[in-house]
Amino acid sequence: MDRTVEGYLAELRKHLAGADPALVQDAIYDADEYLRSALNEAQGDPEAFDAALEAYGTPEEVAAAYRDAEHTVAKALRGPKPAIRPSDNPLARFFGVIADPQAWGALFYLLLALVTGVMYFTIVVTGVSLTLGTLVLIVGIPMALLTLAVVRAISLAEGRIVEGLLGVRMPRRPRTVEGAQGSIWERIKSWLTDARTWTTMLYMVLQLPLGITYFTIIVTSLAVSASVIALPFAQMLADGPLIRAGVYGYYVEAWAYPLLVAAGVIGFFITLWVAKGIGFLHGQYAKVMLVGRTGAEGVE
Amino acid sequence: MSEFEALLRKFQKELNAGTVSLVLLAILDRSEEPLYGYQIAKRIEGGWQGEVTIKQGTLYPVLRTMEENGLLTSSVEPSVSGPPRKYYQITDQGRSVLGEWKTHWTRTRDFVDATLEGNVG
Repeated sequence: MDRTVEGYLAELRKHLAGADPALVQDAIYDADEYLRSALNEAQGDPEAFDAALEAYGTPEEVAAAYRDAEHTVAKALRGPKPAIRPSDNPLARFFGVIADPQAWGALFYLLLALVTGVMYFTIVVTGVSLTLGTLVLIVGIPMALLTLAVVRAISLAEGRIVEGLLGVRMPRRPRTVEGAQGSIWERIKSWLTDARTWTTMLYMVLQLPLGITYFTIIVTSLAVSASVIALPFAQMLADGPLIRAGVYGYYVEAWAYPLLVAAGVIGFFITLWVAKGIGFLHGQYAKVMLVGRTGAEGVE
Repeated sequence: MSEFEALLRKFQKELNAGTVSLVLLAILDRSEEPLYGYQIAKRIEGGWQGEVTIKQGTLYPVLRTMEENGLLTSSVEPSVSGPPRKYYQITDQGRSVLGEWKTHWTRTRDFVDATLEGNVG
């Protein structure tokens, strides 16, 4: 093995191949922090650094420790197995979504996406235009740095939200870019050449139209379901017909009241299923954009 | 590696798996300020007599798991020598868990000592 920080990290990546990319990112981050601190303390003494590598453990050992921890965490995250297995009865499964925390999490995420979408979009567009505008002046450099740093921070934060609400494993540490050491210029360069920086920015910009779409879909479905449920009750209390088209007014026949309520309730369950489905797709998409597709990602 | 040595290694590894969370909690409980991974690793190394049998790379995933379980909190701060450092601090829940673990550890240790001295069985 190459006895440098880069050599060790490359070896560790190899041993973690196939593991969840978010786990790889965490493991690389930890090793990077430790080895750089050790390197700093070794003051260029190769033997002291070798001892630190020895103390940290071989890439095999460290990779195994992360995999073990991930197993325990995954078990804890999943929580105790529900006492009732998902029923084979399709009807029971359809209504069972009401007790599905993932459906509720997704519903909340899709509503929240409008707020975060507006924020991300504003931050990226402001940051990028200010940077481009001031690039001819010396202020452009700190502006670019600030924008990149904010994008990295938000990428991590969005990952935490996605993991919490959509149940997709995301990194718990900022991304380590190979070669992101040394002078400030090299760091800027490595950030700019890291494809993940650009897909993250794209993700943040796209979050606005997506957030608007998600919000509209969910709010419309919820509103339609709620008004269909409420219509019979409102009609009983109201003096005139509630459904109007021009000068004509229509009463709902009394026999249709229970049907309307039932339709509204079913509409609500369908909304939960839709939220769960969109949430799943968005989780996969967020992972590709913010973390990468496979464990091999980042092995340049 | 001789067979004896391999068995010893395995024994040490299994012992460490149980005690490392307790040690990490105790170190963070004693510390006045939040510590980052390397500092914690150094303190463990310093407290060990002779060869250190805990691989320091295995401490990090344990720290991470304990944070997820609410025993620790962390904050990220920039550093000059490399990537930003993650500083860990014990939570109130962590303190009460540590208290319980300590009692359990003392009982286990006394029992094992008693067995080794031939006072059991």
